[in-house]
This record gives sequence, structure tokens and C-alpha cells, in this order.
Amino acid sequence: MTTNLIPDDRRSLTIRLSVLQYLVAGAFALLAVGFWVFQIAQHEKFREMAENNQQRRLPLPAPRGVLLDRNGKVLVENQATRNIAIVREQTKNVGDVLRTLSAATGVPEAQLRDTLSRRRRDPSYRPIVLIENASFEQYVAVMARRLELPGIISEDVPSRRYPSSDMAAHLFGYVGEVTEPQLQRAEYEGVEPGSIVGQSGAEQAYNKQLMGVDGNRTVVVNSVGREIKELDKQPPTIGHPLQLTLDADLQKATEDAFTASGFNGASVVLDPRNGEVLAFTSRPAYDPNAFAAGIDRTTYGALLNDPLKPLTNRALQGRFSPGSTFKMAVGLAGLEEGVINPNFTVHCSGSATFYGRPFACWAKSKGGHGAVNLKTAIEQSCDVYFYTVGNMLGIDRINKWATLLGLGVKSNIDLPNELVGLVPSSQWKLETRKEKWYAGETISVSIGQGQVSVTPVSMAVYAATLANGGVRVTPHIIKAADDGTGLKPVPAPAPQSTIEVTPEKLEAIRQGMWGVVNGGGTGGRARIEGKDVCGKTGTAQVISNQNRLLAQARNKNLDFRDNGWFVFFAPRDNPRIAGVVFLEHGIHGPNAASLAKHILATFFAKEDGKPLPPPPTHEDLHLDYKDPYARGGSGLAGGGR
Amino acid sequence: MFERRLYFHVDWLLLGAVLLLSVVGVAMIYSTTYVATPAGGHPGTQPMTQLYALGIGLVALLVCLAVDYRMLAEHSLFVYGGLLLLLVFVLLKGQTQMGGQRWIPIGPFHLQPSEFARIAVALMLAMYFGENRRGAKNPGDLIIGGILTLVPLLLIAKQPDLGTAITLMPVFVGVAFLAGLRLRLLAIIAIACLPLGFFGYKFALKDYQRQRIQTFLDPEQDPRGAGYQTIQARVTVGSGGLTGKGFRHGTQGQYKFLPVAHNDFIFSVLAEEQGFIGVLGALGLYLFVIVRSIEAARLAKDRLGSYLVGGIISGFAFQVIYNVTMSAGLAPVKGITLPLMSYGGSSLIASLAGFGLILNVRMRRFTN
Repeated sequence: MTTNLIPDDRRSLTIRLSVLQYLVAGAFALLAVGFWVFQIAQHEKFREMAENNQQRRLPLPAPRGVLLDRNGKVLVENQATRNIAIVREQTKNVGDVLRTLSAATGVPEAQLRDTLSRRRRDPSYRPIVLIENASFEQYVAVMARRLELPGIISEDVPSRRYPSSDMAAHLFGYVGEVTEPQLQRAEYEGVEPGSIVGQSGAEQAYNKQLMGVDGNRTVVVNSVGREIKELDKQPPTIGHPLQLTLDADLQKATEDAFTASGFNGASVVLDPRNGEVLAFTSRPAYDPNAFAAGIDRTTYGALLNDPLKPLTNRALQGRFSPGSTFKMAVGLAGLEEGVINPNFTVHCSGSATFYGRPFACWAKSKGGHGAVNLKTAIEQSCDVYFYTVGNMLGIDRINKWATLLGLGVKSNIDLPNELVGLVPSSQWKLETRKEKWYAGETISVSIGQGQVSVTPVSMAVYAATLANGGVRVTPHIIKAADDGTGLKPVPAPAPQSTIEVTPEKLEAIRQGMWGVVNGGGTGGRARIEGKDVCGKTGTAQVISNQNRLLAQARNKNLDFRDNGWFVFFAPRDNPRIAGVVFLEHGIHGPNAASLAKHILATFFAKEDGKPLPPPPTHEDLHLDYKDPYARGGSGLAGGGR
Repeated sequence: MFERRLYFHVDWLLLGAVLLLSVVGVAMIYSTTYVATPAGGHPGTQPMTQLYALGIGLVALLVCLAVDYRMLAEHSLFVYGGLLLLLVFVLLKGQTQMGGQRWIPIGPFHLQPSEFARIAVALMLAMYFGENRRGAKNPGDLIIGGILTLVPLLLIAKQPDLGTAITLMPVFVGVAFLAGLRLRLLAIIAIACLPLGFFGYKFALKDYQRQRIQTFLDPEQDPRGAGYQTIQARVTVGSGGLTGKGFRHGTQGQYKFLPVAHNDFIFSVLAEEQGFIGVLGALGLYLFVIVRSIEAARLAKDRLGSYLVGGIISGFAFQVIYNVTMSAGLAPVKGITLPLMSYGGSSLIASLAGFGLILNVRMRRFTN
């Protein structure tokens, strides 16, 4: 051995080196065990975690089904919009990112924060849309600051495009993010939170068909969320198209007429043979496009708080006194119950007294209508005649026939949130007011005032039932549906009821309605040469004359002008169109007839293959703005034309 | 200086294992730093840099092999002094990167003197204890040895680079242990360290340092912040499974879920891509290198050689064990590189130079 090491030293060194070797070997053995635990025993767990790290399933929202009109014209389609969203798990400091995003896009930070907090329970990998329908400028601003905005992504999503700003808005409805309560309901089973579903109108009623199946993309991303490659792609399936019964031209004519008139209101036009809805409008309307890519709070708030309530579907939810348009129901009841015959004559001197109280006819200032039979009573809308008939019938028989004609009951149209009107009965009063019906109350009801209230859609059914001879058709908006194998006709729903009506008796009513338009009656403005338009005007008070005085003294801005109605069908023989025009505060029923004229003219021009009439101007409608406030005088109850 | 017959005594097996580990390191660096893009991607610049360092490291190894270690030891004071000067220079003029002032730019390279501290300290301590008849039995010598270690340690810790600084401790403990440090003394030091550690934790450590230890103990309490690396290290290793995801198919390192993996977490990437089998292979190689080096210490002609090898290999073994433990998320994240494999020129060169010395001692076991 060497001189440098003495044997004792050498032995001790050898032992200590061995100790070192064993220590290291022991440590390595422990390490091997450690790696075994992670790599073999717990491999599955970590494999999954690694996959979650780098794989992302990105939803590919499905476009909704297209809506077609009855002739195949595309009414509602889809367009691509750009959303700006945040993926929180890629963002360490959400506050900073929101601040930067707000500065870049001009969207208030509080609003972004708000949007985010509403979805805070979503998993952190799921993108949360912060700015829907971002403008190109916003998109560019965000992309330019990508590095300062980790976790902010832009995604192209299909959104709804509706034909024009407010055409048939209430019929189409609008779409919006599915709500929490909706997710709890069975019909929304399988719908993911954040999905866009129909929230109103046809979009809501036929959401299931219209909603497609969302696809998804599985991509590999790196640690900052940048996409590396695509692993898998399930393309979205577009929702099934639906063909509506709506006629785009007739719809446009209806909208044009309302626009020219400047009045609000509603109109429903049906095919009286089967209940197909040919046109449907409610005014004022909203722009469903504003909802398509998510409505901002200001716009939505303005819609909600608008005193004219543009979100309310007046055609289904507005309940108004029908006024004189109710007279056909009373007349038919009288005939069918055998109380009168068509030749039953009443002398109108301008007013009549029932149960010790005078009731005026609207023609009181002209000295009354003189002797009137059923046909002339309808033509001239004589109040005294129907006071008399109504009084002879009593409330319950009026109720029976009005109900059979579709009033005071739901039409059961295939659109959501329909409200029901009211045709009173003695039983109704007993149940709701715990009071017996007084015969004197029947008098006002006889001319469509008092307790009676109707929705415009039920008035359209009423017109259709009178037109088709007593079949209370069910209005519906679907003509054909596609289950993936092409459009197939959807059979019309069964009528709600059919009355065994004596043709001659109904004919007497229809003759009266023909006379209203063609015989110098109150609806002459709806006359179309050779088309035998039948109709009936109605001018209904929204408040009694005394109360109107009082209320207007308190608030000058309140509108108490009368509502105008026109129910119609045409032609008289084999009617193919029936409907209603309702003008809210339209002052006179004949004003509504002016609008109906344009609708009918368009319908027949199209049927005859002639050029469609141009949209009417305000002057074309010859509206009568004279407020007949003084009508009836001295506070007498009464009805208009 | 380099006698021909010495060739026959070079430990080719050890040299081969060391070079193999270095090459595996370059390959793992290539895999981790590959820049993935949707179009395909391209290699990063790091593997080339590492290859240059490997070349320089081989030259350093040859130099350390060629010069008789005893001659080197005689000049150990100059080596040690030079190191201290460099460390002071770094503190005053060094380049700051990644939160530490550690580098001296030399042309295109950046020298990190702290990586060479282990060799210098091992040389100094081996010289001090080896030329000392009493060995480390005398507490006075132990204290002097301790001071010799502590001066560069504190200089490096000041950079701040606690990870590298700490690696000087096992060098000292290794040399002292071989030099006959009484086990009882070692036990006393260990017991004394406990309350010291406690008070140190309470009062000396900065908040972020305490935070690091806490997150290591419970990484889930801050999965996106400080606990992130620990969790991701485990995921990286665990997802590798038995056979691994394959070369360049690791997702954790390549997609940067494990930050700067080519540096401190290169072993995690190896575990991910080569699986448990690869881990066993790499651990086996490292164990072979260490055991074989300790063998060289046993064979050494003199105490100087034994202690020198012991000091160098203790530091090496500590680094490997700590880094691999940390790579599996089983130890707090510290800036302790995996010698031979981690990306970093100075580290690789210093490691190779160290093995040059170990081979040197073994090669010259029969010379006078």
C-alpha cells in the first residue's frame, strides 16, 4: 500500500465509502419506488390530468333551423357573428384582463364583470362570452392586444337573422341564452347551459325542431391556451327547417298598412278553411335581431320599460272590448235560439230605455236609424237593435254562441303565452263576483262593451268561423316540417269545435256583413270590386265618457281614444281569407277597415297573379282623426260604428 | 505530463456512462425545447448550445485528467482564491438573469462561476484534510473546513442562488465524513440544526420562501400559483406510465405546462417520454456513475485523492437525488439542476471537469 495511508485509516475509509455507497443506493431505491407509485400505480389519474391539461373540447354551436314562408321564401336564417369570450383557467388575473378588455373595446368594465359573475359557476375551461356580436373594431382591438389579454378568445358563432327590423317580430319571437329555470324543465333536457334557445314566439314554440345539435372540436393546446393541433371534430348539425303558413307578401302588406297608419295594434289573418295563419302582427314591435346575438341591457331595459310595451304580443295577450264587431255573435244567437228571425225589425230613434236606464245608439245625433232589420242593423251597426236582441236573449245564451264562435276562449294557436278573453255569463259572475247577473248588464254586452273582452287572435277565429260556416278552426303557424328527409306537410290541427248552424240563418249574418262593406255600411273602405268582401267595424271605448274626463284632467298624456276594429272575410262565397285588424286608439272602426283593404287587395292580387299593390301612403288610408268624444252625449252608455 | 501507460488505467466504463448521460440530456433538451406550431414546428436553439458546452466540457475533462491531481491540489489555494474573486466579481458586475446575478459574459458565452464552486471547494477541502494527519477528528479543523465551505456558499447565496449554494454543503459533509468525522458529532450537528431550522423558518426566511415550503407540503392550496410546478411535475411524471409517451411526444414539457422543463425539470420530461423504464435506465446510469466513482475513491492512492473524489461525488449525488426527487414533485422546487442532463453550459462543463478529476485519481492510483 501507499505510504500516504496507514492501514487503520484505510480500513475506516473503506467502511465509510461503503456506507456512502449504500446510502446512495438506498436513496435511489426509494426514488425508484416513488416513480413506480406515480408512473405505474397512479398512472391513470395523472394520464387524465395531463390530457385535461392539453386537450380542450370547444363547442361548435349549431345553427338553428331556417324558417320559410308558405311559398318557400326564406324568412329567418343564420349569419355568423363574432363573440369575445374569456377562458378563466388561462387567466391568472381576471381583474386586469377585464380592465384591459374594457379599455380596448369600450365596453364598461362593470358590465363585463357582471356578465362574468353570472356564469361564475361554470367550469373554468369553458369560454364565457363577454361581448356578444363584437364589432370588427372591437375584434381588431382585442387581437392587437392579445398578449395583454391571456384567456381572451374570439369565436364565430351562428346567430339568427330576421328579415327586416320588426316584421312579424312577435310571431318569430326571439332567441336568448337558456335560463336556469328552463334548464330544470323536461323539454330542455340535454340543453347545455349557455345554449341559445327560443325565448318567445315560434322560436320558443318550435325550439326543439329548430335547435340543432351542437358539435365540438377537440384540440391540443399549449400552456397558454394556444391551439397546437386538432384531434377530433364533430361538426354541428343544423336545426330542422320549418315552413310557416305565413305569406311573406301578405305579412309585408299588413306591416306596411300599419306603418302607413301610424297606429299601434294587431292583425291576424287566417285561411278560414283550415286555420293557417297568413299574416300576424303586433305593433309596436321590437327588432328580434337585437336579441339574435345577445341583447344588451340598455336595449332590453328600454323595451321592458317602454309604456307602449313593445314586447307584449297584442294579438295573443291584448284583451280589449270588441265593440260592434260583437254584434254578429248576438245576432246569430238570436237566430239560432229562435228569438228572432232575419226579418225581425226594431225601430231605432237614437236611444232606447232598458230597466229604467236610457241607452244611446251611436247614430243618436242623426236621429237614429229608423226601422232596421237584422241585415240593416249589421250594416249600419245599429246599437238599439242589438240592445233589444241581447235583452231578449239574456247573457247566458249570448255567452253560449260567442263561445262557439271562438270568443272568450283560447284559440289554442301554436304560439306561447296566449291569454284568454272574457264573454261574461251569469255563472261567471256568480263564481268571480259572488253576485247574480243583472239583466241590465246584458244591454252593454250586446254591443260588445261592458264586461266583454277579446284578444285579436280570437277575433280572427271568430271571423273565420263566420266565414266557413261554423267550424272554429285552430289557428296555426306550421305548414310543413323537416325531420331530416325533406319538408313534409304537417296536418292542420283539428278544429276546436263545430257548430250545427242553419245555413240560412248564418247567411243572414253574412249578408249583413257584406252590406257593411258593399251596401253603404260602415266598412265601405274595405270594398274591393268583384271580391265581395264581408266585414264588420267596431269602435270600442276604452273607458266610460265620465271617467275619461276625470282621468284626462289628471294626466294629459294618457291616450283614451277609442279602439278601432275590423273583422273581415272574403269572398262572401267560399271565403279564402278571414281576419281582424285592431287599431289601438285607432279612433274609428272604419280606420281599421282602411288597413284591411290593403291586406285584402294584396291577397287577391296575388291570388289572381296580378302585380301586388304598392305600400299605401298615409293619405291613401284616408284615416278619420275626428275624435267622436261628444258622441252619445249626456253620459249615456253606447257603442260606436 | 501525460504518460502513455496511464491510458490503460482510464475508467472507460465510467467515462462512457458519463458521456451517455450527457448525450441523453441533449436529446431530452431537444425534445423539450422543440417549438410546436400547428404547421409542425422546429427545434429550439438550446440543444445546439448544449452540444457546444459538451465539447468544451470534454476539453475541460481532458485537462482535469491530464494534470496530476496532486499538482492541482498543491495549487488549490489559487484555485479557491480565484473562485472567490470570480464570485465577488459576479456580485459586483455580473449579469442579472432570471432573478439572480450569476453570470459573467465571455464572448458569446455566459460563465456561471457558482457551478465551479463545488470543484474548487472539494479540491480545497481534500487538500486541507488530506494533508492533515489528524483528519477531521479535531473540531478545530472541522470549523476551518466549515468556514472554507461557508465563504463561497454565502457569496453564492447572496446572488441569490440558494439552490446552487446549498450543493456545497454535501461536498463538505462528504469530505469531512471520509476524513473521519465522528458520527456522534454529525448526530449533534443534525440535532442542533433542527431548532435552528425551526427558527430559521420562523424568522430568517422571507415570506415567499416560506410560501414555497408551504405550497410544497400542500400544492393544492394554490394550484395556479406556487403549487403549480409541483402539481405539474407529478402530472408530467405520472402520465408517462410504464413505457412513456415517446420521444418528442411528451405533452407536458413540450406544451410548456411544466415551465422551463429543459432546465430543472429535465428528468420529469424523461419520465414522461420514456416512462418508468426510461427512469430506471437513467437512475441506473446515475447510480453506476456514483458507485463507480466511490470505487475510485476506494482505490485512490492517497487520502487527498480519496477525499477529492468523495467531495466531488457527494455533491454530485446530492444534486442528482434532490433534483430527481423534485422532478417527481416530491421535494420543494429549488434551483438545483440535474448534473450532466439539465440545460446549462457551466453546469455541464463543471460536471465533466469534476469527472475528469475523478478519472484522474483512479488513473493515477499506481503512480508515485
